[in-house]
Amino acid sequence: MKLPVIETQNVTMSFGGLTAVDRVDLVVPEQSISSIIGPNGAGKTTLFNCVSGFYVPIEGEINFFGKKIKGLPTHKICELGISRTYQNIRLFNKMTSLENVLVGQHPRMNSMWVESILRNKHYRQQESQALQYAYELLDFLGLSDLADIPAFNLPYGAQRRLEIARALASQPKLLLLDEPTAGMNQQETAEMTSLIRILRDERKMTVLLIEHDMRVVMDISDIITVLDHGQKIAEGKPAEIQSDQRVIEAYLGPGVDEITKKFNRKKTNNAKS
Amino acid sequence: MITAIKDGLRAGLITAIIFTFLILIGFTSVAANIIGDILGNPQVLNNETRLPVGNLLIFIALVGLFTGLVTLKKGSNPPWTDVLFRGLTGGILAGLIVGTVIYIVGSFHMEGVDFRAYLPNLGASQLGYLLFYSTPIAASKTYLLYFTVFSLVGALARKTLTMLTGLRNKLKSIKSQIIDWSDKKNFHSLVGNQLFQAGLIILVGIGLYFLPLVWGSYWNYIMGTVAIYILLGLGLNIIVGFSGQLVLGYVAFFATGAYTFALLTAPEPHAVGLNLWVAVGLSTLVSILTGLLLGLPILRLRGDYLAIVTLGFGEIVRILIRSDLLTPLTNGPKGVTNVGQPIWRGHVFSDVNYMHLLMLLVLAGLFIAKRLKDSRTGRAWIAIREDQTVAQATGVDTYKYKILALLLGAAFAGLSGALFASRNQFTGPEDFALMVSVNVLCIVIIGGMGSLPGIILGAFVLKGLPELLRELADYRLLAFGALLVVMMIVRPEGLWPGQNSKKGKMATFSNSLGEDNLEEKV
Repeated sequence: MKLPVIETQNVTMSFGGLTAVDRVDLVVPEQSISSIIGPNGAGKTTLFNCVSGFYVPIEGEINFFGKKIKGLPTHKICELGISRTYQNIRLFNKMTSLENVLVGQHPRMNSMWVESILRNKHYRQQESQALQYAYELLDFLGLSDLADIPAFNLPYGAQRRLEIARALASQPKLLLLDEPTAGMNQQETAEMTSLIRILRDERKMTVLLIEHDMRVVMDISDIITVLDHGQKIAEGKPAEIQSDQRVIEAYLGPGVDEITKKFNRKKTNNAKS
Repeated sequence: MITAIKDGLRAGLITAIIFTFLILIGFTSVAANIIGDILGNPQVLNNETRLPVGNLLIFIALVGLFTGLVTLKKGSNPPWTDVLFRGLTGGILAGLIVGTVIYIVGSFHMEGVDFRAYLPNLGASQLGYLLFYSTPIAASKTYLLYFTVFSLVGALARKTLTMLTGLRNKLKSIKSQIIDWSDKKNFHSLVGNQLFQAGLIILVGIGLYFLPLVWGSYWNYIMGTVAIYILLGLGLNIIVGFSGQLVLGYVAFFATGAYTFALLTAPEPHAVGLNLWVAVGLSTLVSILTGLLLGLPILRLRGDYLAIVTLGFGEIVRILIRSDLLTPLTNGPKGVTNVGQPIWRGHVFSDVNYMHLLMLLVLAGLFIAKRLKDSRTGRAWIAIREDQTVAQATGVDTYKYKILALLLGAAFAGLSGALFASRNQFTGPEDFALMVSVNVLCIVIIGGMGSLPGIILGAFVLKGLPELLRELADYRLLAFGALLVVMMIVRPEGLWPGQNSKKGKMATFSNSLGEDNLEEKV
C-alpha cells in the first residue's frame, strides 16, 4: 500500500484553556488536492501550523510518508519536503523577488560560507543553477518582469504568487497553501485555481489548502475536510460535503426549525417570570 | 514690500537669538578658534594673551551671511529691490539685538561685574575678545555694521544663486531636448568598461599607498582610528546589518582581542613574548571563542531581550578586566603597557606601516563582507533579519546562521582589537567603555543598515569628523545628537542605504531589528 503524504492521528493543540484543534485525524493521499474548510476560528490554520512545525501538538502523531515529524524544528520539516504560504503574506520585504526565491532554495543547496568567500567551482556551479531555477520559477508564476523589484513594492496578487514561488523553490513534495485566493478578483482566482491544478498534474505535487471561496474548493478539491470548533465534522468528496447536514449547520447555524423552537422557549420562559 | 520686511525681520530675529545663545554658552570663541585653525592664524598674538580678532569677525560675517540667506524663502524669486530690503532689515535687526546684548554685557563687564557666577563661559578674557578689546559702544557698532553688510551680501548672493540655477535648469532642459541623454549613456558605458574599472582601481590603489607617506603622522593617527572603526563596523554590520540581531556588547570582542594580543606580547605582566603574527591570529581566535561562549546560550533570544543581555555582557567583560580577581592576569585598571609592535624589514612598524596594514585589512574586510552578502549565507542572514520565523520555515537553520554571524563579527572585532592595542602600545579597561559599542552601532545605522559603503562613510563622519573638530570638544555630543536627529528626519534609511532598502519604507527599520510575532514558536 502506498503511504499517505500526511497522516495525522489524534492531533490536539490547545492554548491555555482553548482547544484549537481537537483529536483530528487527517489523511492526505499522494498527488492530490485536499482542502480544509470551516468557519472562522475552526482551527484550520492551527492544524497547518502543527503540520509545518510552528506548533508542537500536545497530543497525537503527525507522519510524513510514514516518518514521524512531530517536534521537529521548522527548517528540518522544510528540508524533508513540506513548504507553506501564509494567510497574511509574509515575504522578505526588502529582498527582491529573485532573492526571495533564492532564499527558498536554501535547503536544496549546501555551499558553505567559506566557499562563498573563495567562490570555488562548487559554489559557482550551485549559484548559477539556483539562479537559473529561480528565473524558471518566476517565469512559471508570471513574475519574470518583477524579478528585481523588492517584494514590499509588488502588487498584492504578485505577492501571493511570489510566496508560492518561494515555497516551490525548495521543490517540496507537499505544498501547504493558506487561503491562496484571499483578496483576489475573479480572474486572479481562476488563474490561481488552474495553477494549483498544474502543480498536481504536471509537477506531481500534493497540495493541502485552506480556502474560504467555496467555488474554488468545490472546483478543485479531491478531498475536503471540514473543521468546526477544532473537531473534524466531515470528510469526503465535494459532492458529499455539499449535502452534509452538519456542514451546513456549522456554516449557517442550526436549521430554521431549531431557531423558532429556541425563540418559543425563550418566550414562554419570559412569560413565566 | 511688507512681506519682505516681515521675512527680513523674522530671519534677523532668529539669527539674533541663535547668536546670543552661542555667546552665552561660549561657542563663539570656539568657532573663531576653528576658523583660525582652518586659516592657519596663530591662536595667541604678540606677547599679550590676546586672541586674533579677525577670526571672530569672520565668524560674525558668516552668521551675517546666513541671516541674509534665510531672508529669502526656498523656491521664491523676488525682485532685486525686495531682496535689498530683506537683507537690510534682517541684518539691521540681528545687528541691533546682538549689539545691544554686547553693549549691556560689555558695560557691566567694564564696571567690574563678574558673570562667571551665572554663566561660566563668560569670563573676562572671553568678554574682552567679544568686545574686540575695545569699548562696548564701539564693539556693538561693529556688530551692527558686520551683520547689516553681510546680511545684505547674503541676500544678494542667494538671489544670484537662484537665478543661476534657474538658468542652468533652462539650459539643461534645452540640452536634454537636443541631445536626448546620449551623453549620460556614454558616461554609463564608460563606467561599465572593464578596462576603465581596472585603471580606476590601480589609480585608487596608488593613491592609497602614497597618502599615508605624504600626509604626516597626525593624519595617520586619525585615519588609523577611522580604519579600525571601519573594521569594527564591518564586523558589527554582519551581526546587526545582515542577520538583524541587535547586539549591544560588541566592545567585549574588541576588548578580548586587544587584551589577548597585549598579554601575549607585552613584557609585563606575563612576558610570554609570542610571535606577533601568531598573537594576532590567537587574538582573533579567542574573540571567536568568546563569541561562541556568548552566542550559544543567548542567541535563542530575540529583539529587546538579546539587546539587554549583550549590553550586560559588554560591561561584564570590562569590569572583569579591571577587577581585583583578574588583576594578576590582566594588570587591572593600570592596563597593559609596551604592547608588542610588529617588525617590518628590520624596523619597528611606523605609523605609515600601520596605516598600510589597516588599509589592506579594510579592503580585505570589505571584500569578505561583500562576497558574504551576495551568497547563500548572506541571503539566509537577510531573510532572518526580515522575518526570522518565516526564514526558518523556508529551510534556514536560523540558530546556526545567527551564531555564524556572531562569530564572524567577533573575528573582525578581535582582529581590530589586536591592531588597536599594538598601534597604541597600550591597552586599558577604559578603552572599552560602552560608548565604543554605541559608536560602532551608530556607524552601522547612520551609514545605512547592511550597506558596505555606508559603513565607510559612517566611520568617517562619526570618528573622523569629531577627531578633526577637536575644538568642539565639549560640544561634540551636542553636534552628534543634532546630526542624529537631522539624519533621522532627512535620511531615515541611513547616509548610504543598501540597494534594495532605497525603495522600502521606514517601517521596515523596526522590523529589521528583530520584532517578531510572539505567538509562534521558534
